[in-house]
Order: sequence, then structure tokens, then C-alpha cells
Amino acid sequence: MNDVFLPDIACLEKVRDETPDTKTFTLRFRDRGNHFHFLPGQFLELSVFGCGEAPFCIASSPTRPGTFETTVRRTGQLTDQLHRLGNGDEVGIRGPFGNGFDVQAARGKDMLFVAGGIGLPPLRSLIWNVLDERDRFGKVTILYGARTPHDLVYKDELEQWGKRSDVELLVTVDVAEHDWKGNVGVVPILFQKVTLHPESTLAYVCGPPIMIRFVVRDLLTRGFKEESVISTLERMMQCGIGKCNHCAIGHRYVCRDGPVFNYREIAELVE
Amino acid sequence: MVFTLPREGTTQWLEKLLEAGEVIAPVRGPCGDVIFSALRSPAQVVWDFENPLHPPKQFVLPQTDPLVKIKLNGQRHEVEPIHDDSSRTLFNVRSCDVQGIAFLTRMHEAEPPDASYLRRAHNLTIISLACTTPCPPGFCACTDSGPFLSGGYDLQLTDLGGSFLVEVGSEKGEAAMAKAPDVFRKATEVEVAERKALEVAAKAHFGPETCHFGSAMRRISTGRVQDALWEKMADWCLECGGCNFVCPTCYCFSVKDLRRDGTWVRCRMWDSCQYTAFTLEASGHNPRAQRKERMKRRFFHKVSAQYYTRDSMVGCVGCGRCIKTCLGTTHMPAVVAAIRKGKWHE
Repeated sequence: MNDVFLPDIACLEKVRDETPDTKTFTLRFRDRGNHFHFLPGQFLELSVFGCGEAPFCIASSPTRPGTFETTVRRTGQLTDQLHRLGNGDEVGIRGPFGNGFDVQAARGKDMLFVAGGIGLPPLRSLIWNVLDERDRFGKVTILYGARTPHDLVYKDELEQWGKRSDVELLVTVDVAEHDWKGNVGVVPILFQKVTLHPESTLAYVCGPPIMIRFVVRDLLTRGFKEESVISTLERMMQCGIGKCNHCAIGHRYVCRDGPVFNYREIAELVE
Repeated sequence: MVFTLPREGTTQWLEKLLEAGEVIAPVRGPCGDVIFSALRSPAQVVWDFENPLHPPKQFVLPQTDPLVKIKLNGQRHEVEPIHDDSSRTLFNVRSCDVQGIAFLTRMHEAEPPDASYLRRAHNLTIISLACTTPCPPGFCACTDSGPFLSGGYDLQLTDLGGSFLVEVGSEKGEAAMAKAPDVFRKATEVEVAERKALEVAAKAHFGPETCHFGSAMRRISTGRVQDALWEKMADWCLECGGCNFVCPTCYCFSVKDLRRDGTWVRCRMWDSCQYTAFTLEASGHNPRAQRKERMKRRFFHKVSAQYYTRDSMVGCVGCGRCIKTCLGTTHMPAVVAAIRKGKWHE
């Protein structure tokens, strides 16, 4: 029987600043080789030894094996310690956990990604998966918003995506600064600037709860079916295997039955 | 097979059990109250007692359960699982607590199985003592977990006065008897009949007003308990978490690293779904920030049909410990009654 709480050791290979309080960590397993099968949308329990462990989504795509990435905002003790680590430092990894996005089922569909702030990392895994298998998917639209231009993550990649002819990217910020030339306003304002085909599109939404609420409302009004609006939920998941009960909603467990749910499933969850 | 153990044979048997490993039994603690503790000598065992406030779940699921040792060699971390392979016997545990452990074991066996818990559970022999006189707060008759058991034990003892009737429930039970085979003899039909009569008499002790789960389950499962009722009940809850910690079926936990003997040890620690921080996320968002939401969660987990289907029993064994420990009277029978009647008792 496996020891379900025993982490694998992974080394930090690269640490990149995204915003003043957010970093992306590139990791490689130390002892278990590069065989790490996961789906976009799945998550890890990452240990900072001495601090404990916490759940983080995998921000890199399974189409790029060898290393994997996670993007973390500094908000508490564990993330503060994690942010102090540098190249070569070791952390523990358990997982992958959760259901992840159903990439197979999305083939042939138009893909709409709507992200707010630190909600982009879990979608980034799927976005790169889609872009690395570009001919298997229809139109790709990415709508991304953050509080200020400083709070945008993956600035280099936003630029890359913006330049691609097979991706439509729109970025907005709530509060602009003088050198900002882009959109200003909350994410839903971007819907007016794109043409959507609700019947052939899957919409992936991730961000703060308030953003999700308004985006989902807008999508449903625009004719999206509840099954076509897909989100990934965040809860305080401690074990990742449906045992500790921190992430339970009714008799469902975000860590095991989720974290990816479509809006119909979300509407049926009873706190 | 059913056997008889003369009262004077218990000492010899317990001595043999103690030679084989740890024996946990109800003993009188330093302040006079009865607690479950590791036995040093057979004479410590108490035979007539009210069930201890803390159930024996700590011997399968310790309050702080070390899982992984984390060692640092220079810059290199090494992790190794911590295995508790001790052989233990739980002696004179009550029927409700046997069912409590059965509940926990089923939960930890569910995919993916939890090796740390199951190792302890598999190395545990459970020798129960049937309740010929049910304890005052108990309502095990409503949860089908007492006063006598029809299974789940390795051995079930029934006090017949001068002797104990011994029912064998498993090979582990047979092995425990084989430690001192000479003290047991085959039970007579009269003794078996006596045990049956004692069970009937024990059941008759329960009054008509106990804990009716049926209609509460229907209402909780379908979300038909009024928000105002949860709010009213939650007003009485002091968020102490006592109900969770004394409950034989509560197992919610958190994972923390503790410093022990110069290394870090990753531990599983009991947690309470009634605490505000139980669901608090790093972002500051808390999906169950209000007390009524947490109380609703506790009773949904315990009483809903959704969980009943998963666990094949309600998450309650009728031991009545929450009644003893709750300062705010929001214990299981009171909440079940309030949901059934649609009205809080104040």
C-alpha cells in the first residue's frame, strides 16, 4: 500500500518574478525521473519542509515534459518561505490530484479563456496544451484582466500570444497607469470587443469569486450552455485525496471530484 | 462458536495478552475518572464503568499522527514514511466505540487507502464488552450500534455475573483466545439464553424519546432545513470543537510539520469543521465564514442520505459524548430533534 502522504523531492530549476508578489517556479523531480503524467487543471500539494504543504495548480502544459511549473502569490507563511527559495533548493511534491480539464472532449471546439489576476495560471496549462496541438482546436480567444498593469502575470507570454495570428488576446486592467495604452475596466467589458459562437465554444473561467460570478452571468446571457462554461474551484485542500474534509461542498470534494466543474455541476453543489 | 470465561480467568488471559503487545483498556485515571489507557497490570482494568469521555479512536487515529520524517543532509532532503506496526488489543471497549472504529476503517479504506491508519487498524484486536445497562446519555439503539453488537468485534464479552460469555467475531479474536486457551470453555445453552435475555432487557432501558434520524435525514439531504433554524441553533454553539474531538466518527484533519528531535516530522492532526479557519483560504476568502454554515456542514456530513449511502451508516454511533461535552446544547439528539420538529428547543 502506498504511503499517500509521502512527497517526492523536486528541485527548483528556475524562479521568475511575475509581479511584485507573484513568482513562477520551474521544478524538476530529483529522484523519480521525468515521468510525470498530469492533465491541465490538476493540482499539486507542494511542501516547503518545516512549513507544511499547500495546494497549487500546475501552470505548465503536459505537452512540455521534463519540468513543470507553478505560479504562486505570496500570501501566507508557506508561500512566504517558498518565495525565499532559489535555484537548486528542494521542495516536496505530491500529486497530481483532481480531475483536470477534459482536453480530449474539447477537440474541434472553439476555446474561450477568461481569467482574472492570479486565475490565469491554471488556464495557462490548458492554453499551452491547446497551442501546442493547435490544429486540433478551433478559434482560440483569451480575455485576461488584472487590477493594474503590474498585476498581470506571464507578461512575456501575453506578448507572444498577442502577436500570434491564431490567437485572439484581449487584456484589460481595472486601474490604468499613465503609460498603459490598453483596455481599462473589468473583464466582462471585453465581451463587447469579441465575436463569440456560444454553440461551438467551450468557455474556461478562472479568477476571483466576484469576477467568476459576473463572467458566468454574461456568458449565460450570451447563449452559452451551463455545460459549456467550465471553471476550476479553489478550496483549502490539505490532503488532496478526499479524506481531510477541508474542501468538501456537500458530499462532493473539490480535490477529488474537482477542482474542474462545469457551471451546471457548480450550480448543483450545496454548501 | 461461543465460549465462557470465568471471572477469575481474566487475570491470566490479560497477562498473556500483555506479553503479546500493548493492551488498551478502561482504567481509573489519577483524578478518579475512567479513561482508555495502556495497561500495566490486569488489576487496573475496570469492569463496571461509564464510557470514558474520550473514545479509543486515538489508538487508531492519534490526535497528532506522525506520517513522514523529513531529514536534511547538507542541502539534500530525505523523506521516509513513519510506520506504526505495533500490535495492540483494545479491551473492554463499548459497542458504540467498536462501530466508531468500523466507520473510521471503512472511510480510510476508501480509494486511495490510507496506509498509516490501516496499518494500526489491521494490527488492532478489538475485545468489546456489551452494555447490559446502557449509559444514561447513550442512544445507540437509534444508530444500530449497541447496546449489543452482532458483528464488527473480534471478541464480544457479556458480563453474566460470575463469568463472561465470549462471542468470536474473527480470526484475530480466536488468536487472542489462543493466548490462554485453558481459561475458556464451551458455553452452555443456558448461558447463551442468558445473554439473549440481557440484550432484550438492555434494549428495554431506552425510553421512547431518543434520536430519530429518519425525518432529519430527509430534510438535511434535500436542503429543507430553514436557514433561520440553522442560525438559531448556531447562536448556541461556542465553536469549541469539543463535539468533534470526542466523537468516535469524526476524522477531519490538517497536515502540519512539527519539530521533533532535531528533524521535521509531517503530522496529521485532528481539526474541527466548526472552526472559522477550517475553510479559510490564503486569499482571505472563506466559503464557510458564518457559524451557521459550519454547523450545517457538520450535520450534513453526519446525517445526510448522501453520506449515509457512501458510509452505509449515519456518522453517529449514539455514544452521547457530544451531549456531555457541548456547553451550548447543540449536540446530535437536540439538533436532530430540532430539524425534525422545525423548531429549536429554547
